[in-house]
Amino acid sequence: MRRQIPLLITFVVGTLLIVSVFIPPFGELETTFNIWFDIIAVFAFFLGGGNLLRVHIDKLRKKKRDWPFSIVTIAGFVVMLAAGLFKINNPGDIASAVDAPGSLFSDIFNSVQYPLSATMYSLLAFFVASASYRAFRAKNREATLLLIAAFIILLGRTPFGVLVTSWVPDSTSLLQIPNMAIWIMNAPNLAGQRAIIIGIGLGVISMSLRLILGLERSYLGGEK
Amino acid sequence: MGQPDTAPLDTAVFADSGAVTVAPVESLLAEDHKYDNGRAVDLSWVPSIDDQLVDSKALGYRVYRIVDGGEADSLADLPPFAAAFTDGSVERGHSYVYFVSALSPSGEFPSVHTAPVKPEREWINLSRGWLFLIMLFISAAVIFFVETARRGKKLFVRKIAGLEAIDDAVGRATEMGRPVLFIPGISDMDDVETLAALTILGRVSRTIADYDSKIFMPVSRSLVMTAARETLKASYQSAGRPDAYSDDMVNYVTDEQFGYVAAVDGLMAREKPATVFLLGAFFAESLILAETGNSVGAIQIAGTARPAQLPFFIAACDFTLIGEELFAASAYLSGEPRMLGSLKGQDVGKALAMIVILVGVVAMTMSEAWDVGVMENLRAWLVRVFSTS
Amino acid sequence: MEHFALWLGAFLTLGILSFLYKDNAWYKLSEAVFVGISAGFWFATLFWDNLVGKFWDGKGEEPMLWVGAALGLLMLFRLLPKVGWLSRWPLAFIVGATSGLWLMNYLASNIMSQVQATILPVFSSGFGAGFDADLATIVGNLVIFVGTFTGLVYFFFSKEHKGVFGGAARVGIFFIMITFGASFGYTVMSRMSLLIGRIDFLLGDWLGMIG
Repeated sequence: MRRQIPLLITFVVGTLLIVSVFIPPFGELETTFNIWFDIIAVFAFFLGGGNLLRVHIDKLRKKKRDWPFSIVTIAGFVVMLAAGLFKINNPGDIASAVDAPGSLFSDIFNSVQYPLSATMYSLLAFFVASASYRAFRAKNREATLLLIAAFIILLGRTPFGVLVTSWVPDSTSLLQIPNMAIWIMNAPNLAGQRAIIIGIGLGVISMSLRLILGLERSYLGGEK
Repeated sequence: MGQPDTAPLDTAVFADSGAVTVAPVESLLAEDHKYDNGRAVDLSWVPSIDDQLVDSKALGYRVYRIVDGGEADSLADLPPFAAAFTDGSVERGHSYVYFVSALSPSGEFPSVHTAPVKPEREWINLSRGWLFLIMLFISAAVIFFVETARRGKKLFVRKIAGLEAIDDAVGRATEMGRPVLFIPGISDMDDVETLAALTILGRVSRTIADYDSKIFMPVSRSLVMTAARETLKASYQSAGRPDAYSDDMVNYVTDEQFGYVAAVDGLMAREKPATVFLLGAFFAESLILAETGNSVGAIQIAGTARPAQLPFFIAACDFTLIGEELFAASAYLSGEPRMLGSLKGQDVGKALAMIVILVGVVAMTMSEAWDVGVMENLRAWLVRVFSTS
Repeated sequence: MEHFALWLGAFLTLGILSFLYKDNAWYKLSEAVFVGISAGFWFATLFWDNLVGKFWDGKGEEPMLWVGAALGLLMLFRLLPKVGWLSRWPLAFIVGATSGLWLMNYLASNIMSQVQATILPVFSSGFGAGFDADLATIVGNLVIFVGTFTGLVYFFFSKEHKGVFGGAARVGIFFIMITFGASFGYTVMSRMSLLIGRIDFLLGDWLGMIG
């Protein structure tokens, strides 16, 4: 019983949304769903945020490994939450936007969150280098193809690539690296992308049907 | 819109010389917008003759609307050469009359009024008929094979390396005494890839429970945390080990993309998992996670339906599920005939796509190269059937 | 105050970068700050945008919104052991809605549009109206057609990759690998520019060495 109702809900809601594409008066359902989802997500945040606090307070109390850092996490969470919920230092107080310039909220965001985010993002430069280095030891034909294509595209986007094949006459201009790069992007790359994308579409349809028809039900938990 | 409501200027005021006259628009037509909920009316007209002159003085057009015989209100100003407008703010049960004024530096030159039009709602969007049929066809194929599989017909499914490796990967974790790390992507439950990751979790966690391995599952969304806990709990129950389950296996970290990555990286460096699953929706952070997992010596099985991230997983992980394989994984792992039947249904969809492409290419080639009329009709029909506007 | 913010930014930036060497206390500190503050950030933002923004600013009269709130409240029942199972209802709703929406969206955008776009001519004698008979275009179209077709063959689940079918599948995976390589090469440059951005901040804004 406790599983039947959710399964029924999934079925009804799923079918309704599929059908709404073809029935104009139901056209608003997608928007309604998105609004409801946003609201549910905020309520769920109480559970998530509560979990975050509980885990770190637990670490503190039991003096688990790295417990001093849990103080920092909890402090950061509480401070930022308070700054945002009570709109501390906001010009215009409660009525203004939560991230109005000059508010404590936006100050902390700009001086703390933004540099941290940007730096994590920039780590990609190092990881791309290490991944490329490892990929250079291509073990099979497929990996070699990947590398060659990557190399040509990469070169094609740099002035060095233009230089290297600038001696190629215009009649066979396709052999110039920047042109090769463009052709690769527009022909074989496009083909592979299409095959993957069509496959994904069918995968989504199949999985969605399995979920709607109740064939997949693990997310609903067990019988208890 | 956002133009001030003004009544049209009386052109008689500008009868003196020096006034710049512009011919009004012609053939103004107002029609109910089809296949909507009665919220729109389509206007079309032939632009002013003066608009097409090289030194045209026409500045543009202004659309006016009269609701239920009341005052005329201006709706929008349009640039020169405009020939159509959709009024999206009408309501059913009212009658609307429109006229369009051509604008010149000296004033406005209104057209004749249209006949009154009442917006209507259509209950069925017939323009999407083909979309409906194709959806029905593919769905029917999936359901058909699910049902026939139930009756015991053996279905062949090709081996997917990444999925075959799961048992060994989890066993490795148990042997080494190191945990399994499961990352369901960074999207929320309103993303199918996350749903796919959770269905796979249901299967993989069964293996983890059987092998008595430890699992860490940091998540980036609170809803995912809740659903994942339900899934894990059910797996441990069905493995007969309900006491081995703990809510702490799944922890919410932060919604912030790179904050989550920073925490997961730290977790990887400290707990040194033997096996890492990277399944679901990933964005730029995919490579950071995969490379960090590599650096701690973990065996990594990844899968995503974001084509942009697949190359990074291919380069950095031991096994990668490419696009469709992510959605097939759960059915594949279950081994149940009904689930495998749905995979065959997917294949029918692929076959349909391939046939249409082949026929379309042949038709278009013959039509372009040898001007075969029948083929041109075939091509045009196929293009129309598969259009999405 | 700005001076402090600059130093704080630099401190945290270097803390994150130190991870490249190995995990250490500086990184752990930066990570803890990041997690705590960002979690608080999102909660406050979502609270004001999705909860207050929808109910307080006069829009609260819509009955539809209250259904959403009811579903959200059901979510919180998870905390009560006796009625925790009610929290499955909003989950079931979300799963159903997501499935239904994405099924149709992906059918239209991933299947219908892509198939339509692949209907291309692979030969021409210049008779067709408005068709470019250029050799490069023909070869390009042929490549697109073959690549898409064989790529789809590769993804087939229910047929073994043997014989002609297997040959086509091999061609398909070649195309797919080229696709991955192209994506990889394309993104490498933009990743490099991210790093340049941070170096610019450290050397330029913080230490004032550049500009």
